[in-house]
Parts: sequence; C-alpha cells; structure tokens
Amino acid sequence: MNRKTRYFVIVSLLVLGIGVGVGLVAYYVGVPTAFAQQGPDELQMVPGNALVVAYANVHEVMVSNLREHVRQALPQLPDGQREFEAATGINIESDVDRVVAAIVPAEDGRVAGPRSSLIIATGRFDQVRIESLMREHGAAEETYRGRRMFVARDGGAGLSLAFVESGLVAVGSTALVQGAIDRKDGGVSVRTNDDIMTRVRSLDRGNVWAVGRFDALASQANLPSNVTTQLPPITWFAVSGHVNGGLLGDVRMETRDEVSANQFRDVIRGILALGNMQASTHPELETVLRSIQVNGSGKTVAVSFELSAETLDLLARRPGLQPGR
Amino acid sequence: MNTAIRIFELSLGEMLWSRRSVFLALLGAAPVALAGLIRFAAFAGPAALPQVNGERLDGSVLFGLMIWLLYIRFIVPVLGMFYGTSLIADEVDDKTITYLFVRPIPRGAVLVGKYLAYFVCTALLILPSVVLVYFLVVPIGGGSLGGTFPAFLTDLGMLAAGIASYGALFAWVGARLKRPLVIGLVFVFGWEPGVLLFPGYLKRATIAYYLQGLVPHAMPQDSAVSVLLQAFQEMPPVALSLAALGGVTLIGVYLAARATESREYVLEQ
Repeated sequence: MNRKTRYFVIVSLLVLGIGVGVGLVAYYVGVPTAFAQQGPDELQMVPGNALVVAYANVHEVMVSNLREHVRQALPQLPDGQREFEAATGINIESDVDRVVAAIVPAEDGRVAGPRSSLIIATGRFDQVRIESLMREHGAAEETYRGRRMFVARDGGAGLSLAFVESGLVAVGSTALVQGAIDRKDGGVSVRTNDDIMTRVRSLDRGNVWAVGRFDALASQANLPSNVTTQLPPITWFAVSGHVNGGLLGDVRMETRDEVSANQFRDVIRGILALGNMQASTHPELETVLRSIQVNGSGKTVAVSFELSAETLDLLARRPGLQPGR
Repeated sequence: MNTAIRIFELSLGEMLWSRRSVFLALLGAAPVALAGLIRFAAFAGPAALPQVNGERLDGSVLFGLMIWLLYIRFIVPVLGMFYGTSLIADEVDDKTITYLFVRPIPRGAVLVGKYLAYFVCTALLILPSVVLVYFLVVPIGGGSLGGTFPAFLTDLGMLAAGIASYGALFAWVGARLKRPLVIGLVFVFGWEPGVLLFPGYLKRATIAYYLQGLVPHAMPQDSAVSVLLQAFQEMPPVALSLAALGGVTLIGVYLAARATESREYVLEQ
C-alpha cells in the first residue's frame, strides 16, 4: 500500500470514526450546545399546529429577586399552582427547572380547555409520589413506546402524564402526550412551523416567553359579540420577559394591516398619557410608566418596559401590596 | 489467505487512483453537495425546504429520503455493478490478467483479493459520505442527532451489506459471463425495479428486496413500487434480510472464485 492510499484510508476512517463518535456522544450525553437548535429542546415534542407556545426557565425565575418580591406581596400559593400540585404531585417551585407549554387545537380544530393543553416539564420529580397521586385520581397505568404513562379515564378531559425520560415529564390530554413521545426522537414538530419559530428566535434574551396566534385564540374563546368587536385586530403576539433582579419585558403584536397597527399604537400611547397624568401623586407608578416604550413599524406594535429592582421595591412597599393589609 | 491479502493491497491502490474512481468520487460527493445546499437553504430561509401536506420536512425525514432515493436505489447498486463486473473483466480488457495468472498463487485468491479491495475502496468512500450527509441534514428543523443515532448506525451497516452483496453478485457475473456490464445494467435498472412492482415470489430474486428490509426509515411514496410494497406489507423480516444478503455475498464470492479458477480467458489480439 503506497503512501497516498494509506493517507486516503486514514482520512476516510477518521471521518467515519469521528462521525460515529460524535453520534455516540449525542446519543448517550446529548447534543453539544454548539449544535443545538434555537429554542429549548422540548419544542421538538410540541405539535407543529400549536396555536400558542410558552416557555419559562422556572429555576431562574424562582431564585430571582422578583420572585422574592412577589412572595412577600403574595405569601399564599396561587390557586392554579396548588391545583396542579394536587392533581399531578409536581411542585412547580421546587421540582421544575424549566417548562414548555402549548395550546394545540383538537382534531375538530377547536381549542377545548385541558384537551388542548400540553405541558412539558424538566426537573427533579418524585416519581413514586406522582404515580400514587395519579392512581388515586383514577388514572390507568399504561406503557406507550416503552414509556410509563398514566392515562386519564374521564374521556380525555382530564390530565394524562408520561415520564418521557428521566427528569422529563409530559402532561396533557392522552393524544397530546402520546404525540409528544412520538416526536421526542425526531419528526415534524413546532420547530418546523416557521411562523412560530421565527418569533421564538426573536425572543432569545428572555427566560420567560410566549408566542401565539391571538386571532385563533380569540375566535375560540366564545366571547360575547360586543366584546369581540372591541378587540384590537391582532393576529400574532410574542411576549418575552427577562426575570432577574428586575424585569425586562417585550410585548410584540402583529395586526391585520398597517392602519390597525397605527391606531393600536395611538391607543396605547393615549393610555400611557392618561396614566402619566394620574401618576403625579404616585412616584412609583411614574417610574414604571416612564420605562414603557411604544415602538414598531408596519403591522407590528412593540411595547417594551424595564422594571429595576428599586422600582420593584417601591411597588412592593405600596400599601395595597403589603401582606396582611 | 496471505496471497489474497497481497492482491488486496496491490488492487486497493490501483482501484483508488484509477479513472473509474473519479466516477466513484463524484457519486460519493454528490449527496454531500446536495446536503450542503439543503443546509444552506435552511439557514437562508426555512421556507425553501420541501413540504409534505403543508408541513415542512425536518432533517431526520430528509436524511431518510436521501438514504432511500440516493444511496439504496442508485449509488450502492451502480457502484456494485461497475466495480464488481470490472474486477476480472478489466484485467482481461487490459490484457494484464496473464501477469496475475502466471504467478504461483491460486486464481481464486486473485478474485478474493480484488473483491476485498473493491469492498474497502467503495465503503471508505461511500460511508464517510453518509456520515457527512447525516451531520449536515439531520439537525435541520430540530432533528435530534442522539435520537436518530441508532437508525444512522443501521444505515451504515445496511449500506455496507448492500455494497458487499451487490459487489459479490457482480463479481461472479464479471468472472463468469461476457459483456457483464450490459447484464449488470439490465439487472439494476430493469430486473430489480420491474420485479418489485409485482406481488409474488419473483422479488426474492433481487438484492434490493432484502436491502429494503434493513432500512430503518419509512419508504418514500414516490413511485408505484413503494406504494405497492407498503400496501402489501412486502418487507422481509430483518433476520431473513441479513441471512439473504450474507448468503448472496458468500455464495457470490465463492462462485466468482470458482469461475475464475475454471474459466479459460482468451485475450483478443
């Protein structure tokens, strides 16, 4: 074998070996960050036709100063959080690191409460406790694609739960949870939905965000006609917040046309002007209102705000927010 | 066996740096270039990616399609045919077979050594090409490298089995028959796709049928063959496919070695 041939064999074997090696690492350890797609990995489990996708880095939020302020103002757990813990055994504050939630239309195209919700949580879960709670609630134990799953017995209206892998739980209707397991290893997901992913990519600085179709949600909300006619003609919304010492927020809305966007911007500026007039006697509100910026061009209306830790302190010291008053 | 290894070392260099290898390199590089283009299109704008029923295909699905349409249906059979039939035929055409046969080595060992060189040469060009395509295409649209890794390993094994079995079959054809390339073309582009169209037992006389039994990806419904195969669930079990491909390889190499031993090669003046 001459030198040229030897080099060829070595290079080919190197490509093959490195390829298989990287694949093995991805299989056992996970994909290195440099190769990761934008957005959290859990988006792969969300169906492509989701109307709303939301994400929260729960751990960052829970250890933030903002959370401390909220805890001082509201020492009791919110009802929804208590109900979720009672139903699933998952304590959002202590068990969950991050969560991806989605609203997905049912087969008939309608959004119907729990049947349309999918929650994918990553964290440290007490599997034994969760399983016993699910059994108490009458859930049937099944195995789906090798994953243990607890299926709601009440015709799909209740919550089903599956341990997709260690530290990864999917909660939602049976069909959505099974779909999430199917998509876990690849396939068509919300990551192939350009409309949503383009907006998700634009929200990269937030540790809490939500993106969705406002018009689709509003049309399914069974609102009275006089309310529906008063709603601004928003098609898409994207909300992001960076929660740390303070709160940095961005709200972006897309309207049907530029005229509607201009009118909507004017309405928000009018409300802010009215607020500024009223805020002269409340310096803490004045600071908040001054931080709000209304921007956007074309069909986009953008509102951003920044609440510093000091402002939050001022707000928390307001008499109405003091615990016990 | 030592003589076969010596022939293998000699033939590997000859095979790699021959004019035929330009064709082999092009076949190996074309899917990589295509994958690069797809990756570039995905970066430039996801709207450029192909859609099925209004949903954009993700990387793992695209990779499966490329394995089916480029490698299984074209590259592997064509390479097996061109290289397999030329193992002995080229030596006859170049009138150099005499130099090999006058050496004190069994004729069969010449064939086995050349077949091993074909396998290593082809595998070392095609399998790295598959690796590059995998890393270029699968991450598109959120496809998981870790999640698709077992299927990727199966692909590599399946393609190696395909290279081995097509090469062995055509080595025998090349050693046994005159105008082996014509027969190879008829087999690859006529017999195999034609027979797979019809229900019945005839498809068992193809290599493609057993190769398809090892593919971990869903068959693309791009032709009547695929639709019929899926409709009749005509996919052989993995064990049967492995046994059949292994059998074709061993029997093909054995018959090719036998034919080389016994056949009288007449060099045209």
